[in-house]
Amino acid sequence: MNAGSAERHDGPGSGRGGGGGTDRALSSTATAPWRRDPAAARRLGLVVAALVVLWPLLVWCEFRPWELLDERSLRATMRFAGQFLTPRVDLEFLTMLAADTWRTVAMATVGLALAWVIAVPLALLATARLSVSALSGRMAAGPAALRWAVRAVLIVLRSVPELVWALMLVRVIGLGPGAGVLAIALSYGGMLGKVYAEILESADAAPTQALLRGGAGRLQALLFGALPSCSEELVSYTVYRWECAIRSSVVLGFVGAGGLGQQLDNATKMFAGSEVATILLIFIALVAMADRISAWLRPARTAGQGGESRHPLSARPPARWGLRTLLAGLLALLVMSVVTLPLRWGELLGAGALAEMGRFLAEFFPPQLAPDFLGRVGQGALETLAMSALGSGLAAIAGLAVALLASRPPGPLRWASRLLLNALRSVPELVWASLLLVAAGLGPMPGTLALALHTTGVLGRLMAEALENAPPQTAQALRWAGASRWQVFAFATLPQAAPQLLSYTLYRWENNIRAATVLGVVGAGGLGQMLSLHLSLFQMRETCTVLLAMLVLVMAVDACSYAARRRLNH
Amino acid sequence: MSLLVLEGLRLQAGARTLIEPLSLRIEPGEQVALIGASGAGKTSLLHALALASRPAAGTLRLGGQDGWALSSRARHQLRRTLMLAPQHPPLPPRQRVVTAVLAGRLPGASVARSLRMLFSPDQAQARLAFDALDRLELGARLWSRVDQLSGGERQRVAVARLLVSQARLWLADEPLSALDPQRAQRVLAVLQDAARAQDRTLVCSLHQVDLACRLFPRVIALRQGRLVYDGPPQELGARQLDEIYADLLNEAPSTPDDAPMTAAPPQAMCR
Repeated sequence: MNAGSAERHDGPGSGRGGGGGTDRALSSTATAPWRRDPAAARRLGLVVAALVVLWPLLVWCEFRPWELLDERSLRATMRFAGQFLTPRVDLEFLTMLAADTWRTVAMATVGLALAWVIAVPLALLATARLSVSALSGRMAAGPAALRWAVRAVLIVLRSVPELVWALMLVRVIGLGPGAGVLAIALSYGGMLGKVYAEILESADAAPTQALLRGGAGRLQALLFGALPSCSEELVSYTVYRWECAIRSSVVLGFVGAGGLGQQLDNATKMFAGSEVATILLIFIALVAMADRISAWLRPARTAGQGGESRHPLSARPPARWGLRTLLAGLLALLVMSVVTLPLRWGELLGAGALAEMGRFLAEFFPPQLAPDFLGRVGQGALETLAMSALGSGLAAIAGLAVALLASRPPGPLRWASRLLLNALRSVPELVWASLLLVAAGLGPMPGTLALALHTTGVLGRLMAEALENAPPQTAQALRWAGASRWQVFAFATLPQAAPQLLSYTLYRWENNIRAATVLGVVGAGGLGQMLSLHLSLFQMRETCTVLLAMLVLVMAVDACSYAARRRLNH
Repeated sequence: MSLLVLEGLRLQAGARTLIEPLSLRIEPGEQVALIGASGAGKTSLLHALALASRPAAGTLRLGGQDGWALSSRARHQLRRTLMLAPQHPPLPPRQRVVTAVLAGRLPGASVARSLRMLFSPDQAQARLAFDALDRLELGARLWSRVDQLSGGERQRVAVARLLVSQARLWLADEPLSALDPQRAQRVLAVLQDAARAQDRTLVCSLHQVDLACRLFPRVIALRQGRLVYDGPPQELGARQLDEIYADLLNEAPSTPDDAPMTAAPPQAMCR
């Protein structure tokens, strides 16, 4: 904890009241307020609490990083890393990878298109903006209940990570891109739907309401009232999600959806370091390209999900043009993807498949509620929670350290640290985990480290931006008085940027709780491992309990982080 | 030996000259007021004195050392002998007042001591900050957060930071600009008394010409970056004052935030 990041005001009044409470103490602190720091006890308590919480986290994550350095695992790592230096580049392998790369992109594109189809109607149902009954005071009971139900569906859809959807879909419709596409469609449908509804609600209500009051239909009100003011934000968010979907679709390859991820999984399992190196390089290039394209074409937003539009009114000259090019390009991409992907829609959505899905779902109920099983689920949940919290915490510390270098004035140090952050960021957690498994074997520790590595990349970039945006005068004043570099950081830069740094960390923690469940699937323990175990044994009732636990955990973390972020902004 | 010696010091911002070649000598323990219309170069000169902006020509000797001939490390060491309080005190909004004041003690403090200050100051440190704040009528705000203070209170926190600092040279840039006239006088008196009692040298830029003339034994006046007067205030005639502020009467003040104070015709103040 630093200078005054999260603390609240303790005026002289509350300082006195918080003390022992006797009259003498009261009068002595009133005349000599320097005697007692009203925040000291709280701060000490926070430090102690942090240490007390840290201990079980370290135990649950089996966090013993020195094991990475023992002779045996070091030898395995060195051999693997040695092969890394000579990527496999023969023509046969590259042709195969080209086809897989295309399959990855196509899966993401078709998945996102389906997600859009799911998200739009749900978002329109969920948003209060288009409610006719809400025009005259409170919304009527029926529509309100419908909205809540739709919202709940959206939350469930997005709380289950796409890899978990894929795991279950693979059971029903078999291996292949179909499972991947549907998994992306379901979880991204939930994300898009929720955010679409929020965007519609955050815009100015007046135009839409005016139209509705004038007797226009809901669709008309949407097209003429709400869309004009938020279309850019909607498009921008959708494109950003497309970029994320490409990353996800690589990950889905790990459970048999095909594409680059599957190749990567095979290569790591065979310890073929040179193949892994090639695939990773292609993958990083692909992600970087998607990142560039979407950053270049996205009209309003600049930096990812947390970014606000930098230029509220001015500076959108090529936006329209870019928007059209972008939409045309994405449409072409979509058509090509649908044509080339070996999807058998009839088998996916035909009567037989639906009946099969119904049977599959029926096996889930009732969930397994035997006490000793619940105990194990609870332990798994704690393990997942510990992994996500420790991973985010480590990443916050490491990210801040690299961000300090990355926010320095231009020079080789800044350049190198930015490169490092980009490399860390473009490899997803699951890929880091599968690489670390080679060095450290199975267990929660490689999972935690994988989370930390990827998150360091993400947080480092955001933190460097936050540090650069902090007003420089505060630091200057201390620097001019001869304070040392770190003193300036601790007394001027950090207290200014701290709320933003903490809220970024909390954001990532929300993200990492999902990622931590996913990592379990490749052997990092926790709920994910239980899920893949019970699924592979066809124990559907147990699977159902684990899924429910996952939902509860994700929602609880979301709620905690939301509450904490709200307090930070006060 | 003089504490501060400037010889032919010229400050440049791109093609614009901020300070014309200027020579100046300030003895230890002196109290100097710096006056001039807004835009005359008061802040630029203070920044130059604080070794914050590198002069385009000329030398600046602080305590006998040529500040800009030193290595950057030695220069940073030398900066510990001075402390500048900027006009708009840049304090982190979420920091506590006590921390913001004690930051004046940072230069030269050890890691352990600085961390202690940051986490929770010990009694001696808190006492030090409280005493400084109390003299400026802010004692009750010791444990408050900076973002709960008004502009005037923040300015006094910046003065309190100056009071606790161990620098030999105190530079204050318009320390009274956000204060009402009565309080401004009291704060200035505290600052001058403290400087006298602790044997500090004080250079203070002011737009209240009457206070400068009444309370400071030496006044330096700038006009368009040029030194136009340096001496005791008694010899500063009304005509000269009119000249110094001539630009102000002809043009609108360049910084809107100190407009309400400087808008009054300054020549009326010194008579």
